[in-house]
Amino acid sequence: MFELPTSSIGGEELFVLPFGDIVNYFTPYTGALFLFALIFTLICIFSKPEKQLDVAFGTDAIYAKDVTGKDLHFRRFMAIACGVATMGAVTSGDVFNFTLFVSMVGICIIGIVASVKNKHVLNAAFNYGIISMLATVPLFGGAAITLAATGTLSIWELSAIAPAMPGIAKALILVGVMGEGIAPFYAAKAELFRAPGAPYVIMIHVSSLLMFLRVVEIMLTV
Amino acid sequence: MIGYLIAAPFIGLLFMGIHRKAIARIQGRPGPPVWQEILHTLKFSFKETWVPRTASKPLYIGIVVIAIAIWVGALYIVMLGGSLLLLFGVYMVHKMVEHGVGLSPGSPYAKFGGVRSVISASSEIPLFAVVAGIYFFTGSLMISDIVQYQADNGPLLFSLFPAAIAMYIVILSKMHYGPFSIVEAKEIVSGYKTEHFGVWRAGLEISDAIKTFVLLMAFVLIFWGALSPVLLFIAMLIILISLSFVCALTPMLSPYDSVTVQLVTIVILVAWMAILGLIA
Repeated sequence: MFELPTSSIGGEELFVLPFGDIVNYFTPYTGALFLFALIFTLICIFSKPEKQLDVAFGTDAIYAKDVTGKDLHFRRFMAIACGVATMGAVTSGDVFNFTLFVSMVGICIIGIVASVKNKHVLNAAFNYGIISMLATVPLFGGAAITLAATGTLSIWELSAIAPAMPGIAKALILVGVMGEGIAPFYAAKAELFRAPGAPYVIMIHVSSLLMFLRVVEIMLTV
Repeated sequence: MIGYLIAAPFIGLLFMGIHRKAIARIQGRPGPPVWQEILHTLKFSFKETWVPRTASKPLYIGIVVIAIAIWVGALYIVMLGGSLLLLFGVYMVHKMVEHGVGLSPGSPYAKFGGVRSVISASSEIPLFAVVAGIYFFTGSLMISDIVQYQADNGPLLFSLFPAAIAMYIVILSKMHYGPFSIVEAKEIVSGYKTEHFGVWRAGLEISDAIKTFVLLMAFVLIFWGALSPVLLFIAMLIILISLSFVCALTPMLSPYDSVTVQLVTIVILVAWMAILGLIA
């Protein structure tokens, strides 16, 4: 019933997973991305955070940061939610669902960062939050332009008439994903890494890069 | 395939040894024997191993397994002529591995290595524009199709020269002692690997070896096409020695300079690709 018209990007279609009229699909490419997201989510579930050591400048002392109690539970929950949203984004067969999952990833990323009680990390979270909010405009704007121009948001249908998605819509979605995913802004705002909790912090990186990898595939497919 | 799987770590480690030797000779030093990296890995394999008390244990151990698994997967992708996009996906996941290896033990040195890995990811994202360029020219991202395209139309090295430079920079950024090797700079001890010792370090060395083998092989296949195993080995060696020259003759950049130089270079190459696309 469902067949991707091109197998020259992510490989042959392996199987589809329909939820009503929403039809997710797995190729070797999206399957591998799903697997990566799943593995890192499992690591989040089963890992306790590390005790990050910092040097107290001007002395011989070092101190260990600990993640305990409510903070740990909240950040773990956010990281797992981020992983689940990433899994949704990498297998979605629909541009609108993809954008929804991407914006959910953006919210979860802010959640992971913003729960750390450190002024530098909170400052980074505030900046990420602004970028994330702004990024929703081009993200959903791109999807809206696609719907207006083609009458559908299904990747199945769009790929059958490719190149169907207007260039401006592709550019807007790309900008939206970059904003929601945060990764391109690490270089400018690395204070986030003062936060302990490696399994949760790494989920930010995982979700950002996997979304970026998926959006490249979507851009080429439609 | 099993033969390649067994040979790849040894050839990769040998390449890493040749790289060290070539750098040393260019700089007028005797350098270590070319099999030194193989000996290192064997030594690490039999050293006493434990997990630091401050580490996040599942992540600390699991990330080493993931490091080996992704590059074994990448080897299969290249050997079976799979998707170039997936190969670059593995490359990006390797960034997560460096990040995970760096953050999991809680050590500040390892953390700084991991953070440097993450910030340099922003400069490699535009590489996907290069992938798009290859797709535009060949009509496919399957390595088998790209190889076939070159058999019919000649090597992409000449027709898609900017893409070749971009991938060369990607490989260069992953070479030891290179201008972009900020993740394991000596001012942060061994960077993201500082706290992984013994068997864990041996695992990381093996993943590095397979990575070196896969990236060099992919470069030859994507930009020159299919070759016999002997010629393939020689071509990979030539690229490796050229990389050694670059590493030997350039200083390591500071982290932000490294990101800036890569970013500017990639932007120029993407613009060049766009012009080539318009002409075509």
